[in-house]
This record gives sequence, structure tokens and C-alpha cells, in this order.
Amino acid sequence: MSDILFYAFAAITVFSAFMVVCSRNPVNAALFMIAAFVGAAALFALLEAFFLAAVQVLVYAGAVIVLFLFIIMLLDVERTRALRPGLVSLAASAAALGLLVVGVLWLFAWEGAGPLVDARGSDAPAALARNFGYELFTRYLLPVQVTGFLLLVAMIGVIHISKRPARDTAAEPKGEEANP
Amino acid sequence: MIPSLDTYRAIAADNLWITILPEIAIAVLALAVLVLELLLPPGRRYWIPRIAMGGQGLVLAGVGVAFCLAADPLAGRTAFNGMLQFTPLGDAARVFFLVCGILVCFLGSLFLRRRDLPRVEFFHLILVATGAFMLLAQSSHFLMLFLALETVAVALYILVGYQRQSAASLEGGLKLLIPSALSSAILLAGIVLVYGAAGNPLLVETAADAMRFGDVAAFARANPDNPLLLLGMMLVLAGVAFKIGLVPFQIWIPDVYQGAPTPVTALLAVASKGAGVIVLINLLQGPFETFHAALVPALAVVAMVTILFGNLAALGQRKVKRLMGLSGISHAGFLLLGVAAIPAVPWVLGAVVFYLFVYLLGAFAVFAVMIHVGGLNDPEQRIEDYEELGKASPFLAGVLCIGLGSLAGIPPLAGFIAKLLLFIAAFQAELYLLLGIAVVGVVISIYYYFGWIRAAVFREPPAPQAFAPPAAAETVTHPVSVSMRLALVLLAAMTVLLGLYPAVLHWVL
Repeated sequence: MSDILFYAFAAITVFSAFMVVCSRNPVNAALFMIAAFVGAAALFALLEAFFLAAVQVLVYAGAVIVLFLFIIMLLDVERTRALRPGLVSLAASAAALGLLVVGVLWLFAWEGAGPLVDARGSDAPAALARNFGYELFTRYLLPVQVTGFLLLVAMIGVIHISKRPARDTAAEPKGEEANP
Repeated sequence: MIPSLDTYRAIAADNLWITILPEIAIAVLALAVLVLELLLPPGRRYWIPRIAMGGQGLVLAGVGVAFCLAADPLAGRTAFNGMLQFTPLGDAARVFFLVCGILVCFLGSLFLRRRDLPRVEFFHLILVATGAFMLLAQSSHFLMLFLALETVAVALYILVGYQRQSAASLEGGLKLLIPSALSSAILLAGIVLVYGAAGNPLLVETAADAMRFGDVAAFARANPDNPLLLLGMMLVLAGVAFKIGLVPFQIWIPDVYQGAPTPVTALLAVASKGAGVIVLINLLQGPFETFHAALVPALAVVAMVTILFGNLAALGQRKVKRLMGLSGISHAGFLLLGVAAIPAVPWVLGAVVFYLFVYLLGAFAVFAVMIHVGGLNDPEQRIEDYEELGKASPFLAGVLCIGLGSLAGIPPLAGFIAKLLLFIAAFQAELYLLLGIAVVGVVISIYYYFGWIRAAVFREPPAPQAFAPPAAAETVTHPVSVSMRLALVLLAAMTVLLGLYPAVLHWVL
């Protein structure tokens, strides 16, 4: 049963992710992204990482996508023009895709990735929110702090890039240029 | 089953914050700069770059003093449950990135003064990037590696697109964003595969923490032909090669280097390349140590192609920022030559670090001159713009010559010694073909570096014409402030000193 569910959710995730890339309309792309995130959350739930699944739905499928949609609608993005890739790039992409498929098949069907574990019954490390918190704030405390700086830098960058230059020059009088 | 609280206490006890005091100081400095922007009256904001530079200088002095006094008490030990490992290479990297950070802030303060750009964000981003570079060089855990790398990458996207009124700068930012995000995805996919392979409890020597370098190395020794591990390793190395700009992954370099503000170009050229090389060394000496026999020939081939491509592409280039980018690719190739020789000739690790420092000195000397010569249309600087530099400002022309000469590897300068050390190592490691290609690469590089020097010093300025273009009159004035003069003299003097008297190395290393 869980195998069938896995294949179903994996198919949903991959198909939606593919459609995110292929949609011409950004709103459609964002909606497909929700489907991809929900599919990934279902996969987490199948792995018994329920907390992660809930966070995935709440944060990504909920908040992040709403932000995306806001931005798309605020910017009023038009439908992008259909790009006609050249024959060479088309052939190169097809060859790369073929290589990838052959590689994955070779890896898993012929060579094998080593013995597979039956993880049912064992505890996922992030199954419980409490566990998750303990891990995050002991073992992974330094990465959490670094992530904080990552987000700070991203935020400052967005503010800088989106600031209107006209207001800049008005807010910073020439007096500041009097650097001795 | 939940581990007991005592387990977590023991884990938390390994978070030795005191060991990353320099990085914490840089982070605090980065935040302080933001707060100062709010507190200082607008007329006093010129203190911000000074504080950023002075603070980094203090941290650098602290690192140096601690290094001299304690003779490296942390050598080889790990902290934060294996997230970081302190090695002599990590210490050298701290110094390298701090020097880089100070110089970029210095160039940045000059660059921004001429333009109507907000300042504080620039220094904040540089500081965060410096701190992240320092952590990156010392990380011994794939999670830490990836986070530090991403922090640097996000800071760099913004810094490259910092001049948002300039189309070239924004284009550079976008052209960095997409390949860099793609390479991060490749790197992440590789990490995931390595994690999946090394964490499989049914294999021998399964890793307790499948992202820690040491555990992965032990796993790789026991299962050297696990296909997942091999595939993961390839993807991880490809991701890192992307960041360094090694040849199959160099496509983003020229446009990004050209579009970025010149101080940021310097940061990309020196710090980003250095970080990539140091990460590569850490990876090859850590988790992927088992695969040296297969990796050394692969690295040697990549180094050959990189040296040839960088030099040949730079040959016909007249735009100086693209020239620096393309020649930077060839320098990455020389560094990779050293990296490929490490398994056979361990002392070459010091030579690679020496090369990095010499490249830092030479490149920053050249970039500083570029900031003075370049007008407001900075991305379009051409070699022809340097034609009257020798007359207009003999000082700048001299510094330019020393910097370029060192980059080309001319005997009395440090670049020669650095290249010589790498070549000796390649010879001892029996990488003869690579050595031959590298020598050819040096010969080619002399041609284009000397073309630049010739333009700056030897070319007779065209006879004065009645209708002299007004642009020429604008470019002949190159006021150099006292502090800049001092910095340039220091860079040039270090380059000459390290070339004439490389025994200084013994004292430093």
C-alpha cells in the first residue's frame, strides 16, 4: 500500500515540478508549485516525518506561494513569449536528458545502490517537533546562526536592489560627499 | 525514542563558540555597521568604511597574535560536533579572507565615493561575505559547507548587481545568479547522494553523521566502489569547480567580472577563487581521500584545459575587466595544478597558499589602479585607456607594472617564485604533460600582460591634435589619496619583497 502511495505522490511531485518549468503563465507555474510542495509533503509523511510534512505544507505551500502570487500579481507579469530554442541547444538538451536517464537506470537497475533498509518502525530523527527543536538548537546551532545571516543578507539585498535610485539621491545630501 | 537531555547537553557542550571568535567578531561588526548607519548623523557617515576596515584590521591582528602566541592550540581539532575543523590551512584562510575583506572595503570606499550609491549595505555585505568565507574554509561538514557557500553566494549576487542604475551591473548579477544557483543545486544533489550512500546502515563502516567529512572518509575507505558515493562525489566536485570557474564551468566569468563594480570584481577574483580552491583541498584531503588515484588525472586534465582556455581567451581581449576575469581562469588552472600535486607532494599545500597570497597582492594592486583610471563607465574600461598613465601618474603606472608583472610571473617578483614552486611540485609529482602546458600558458600570459604594461608605460601618446577628445583631458588626472598611496606601496613592496626574499615564508608558515 505504502509503495503505491509513494509512486502516486512521487509522480504528482515530478509532474508538477515539470509543469512549473514549462508553464508560460507565471500564475499557473506558482499553482503547480503548490502541487509539487504538497506532493513532497506527502512523501515526508510516508517517511513518518510528520512534523516536516506539516511545516512543508504550512510554510512552503502556504506562505511562500502566497508571497509568490502577490509578487506576480503586483508586477503584473505578462505571458512570456514562446522561445524557440535552436536545433543545437535542443539536440544538446535531449542528449543530456538521455544521458541522465541512462545514468539513473544504470545506477539503480543494473549496478544497484547497495542493500536497501527497511526503515519501517525505526524513528525518524525529525518525527516530533520537540526532537526537531532539540537537534536544531544543540547539534545544529551554528548552522542555524549562519542561516540567520543568510536571510539577513538576502533581506538587505532585496531592500537595496529594489530601492528607487531617485529617492536615494534625495535622501543622501551632497554633504556626505565631503569626505576629507 | 527520544535521546535523553544529557545527550543533548553533551552535544551542546561541543559548541565551542570561543574557537570561532574571529568570525563572531566579523558578524558583530557587520551588524554594528548597520546600526551605526542609523545612529550617525549623515555628515559623519564616512566613519562607516573606516570602522569596517579598522574592525577587520583588529580581528586580523587578533588572529595573528593568537597564532604567534599559542602556536596553534586548535590544530587538527574539531568543534561544533564536527561542523568545523581547525587546521593550519584554515588559519591561513582566515588571514587571507580578512586581508581580502579589508582591501575590498578600501577599494569600495573609493569606488562608492565617486558614485551616488548607498554605502552601508556594501560594507555590511562584504563583512558577512568575509565571515562566511572564513567559516567555509574551516567547515568539515557538508551542511556547514553548503550554508557558508550559500551565504557567500547570496551576498555576491547583490554585490555584483550593486550598481542598480547600471545595466551592465544588473546583467552581471543575473548572469551570476542563474549559473551559481544551478551549481548550488548540483552541489546539493551531490551532497544528498553522498549522504544517502554513507548513511546506509546495511553497509560496512556506515557513518554516524553521514555529512561529516571524517565519517564519509571512513565510509569511502570501506566502500570505495559504491556507485552512489562516486556519483555524489562527481556532482560535489562539479559544483565546487563551478564556483572556482574551472573550464567546463567557466562560462559565467567574463560577463560577471565585467559588469560587477570593480571592488566586487576583485572580491570575486581573489576571495571567491581562493575559497573554492581551499574547499577543494579540504574535500580532497577529507571525504574523497580514497579516490586520489582516479581524481589526480582528472584534475590534471581539467587544469590543462583551464590554463590553455584562460590564456588563449585573454589573448585578444582589450577590455581590462574581462581580461582580468579570463586570466583569472588561468590562475585557477595553476592553482588546480598545485591541488592535483598534493597527494604525491604534500609540501605543495604551502605553495598553493603562497600562490593565493601572491595572487591577492598582484590582483589587488591592479584592481586598485583600475579604480583610479576607470571613469564612471567602469565596465567598459579598455587597455587603450591606460595609454597615458605613465606620464599622467608614474606612481600608478609603476604599481600597475609590478602587479601585472607578478601576475605574469616575471623573475624578481613574487609571482615568479609562486609559479616556480608549483612547477617544481608538478615535476616531482610526475605531471609532466601538465607542467609543459602550464609553461606554455605562462608564455602566453606574458604576451597579454605585457601588452597592457606596454600600453601604460611605453607607448608614445599620440601627437597632440587640435581637436583632442575631451575624454582624454578627463582621464589624465588621477588624484591618489595618501592612504591609497600607502596601501599601494604596501602591496607593491610585499610583491617585490616576497619575490626577492621568499625565505620570509619560513617565518610566516
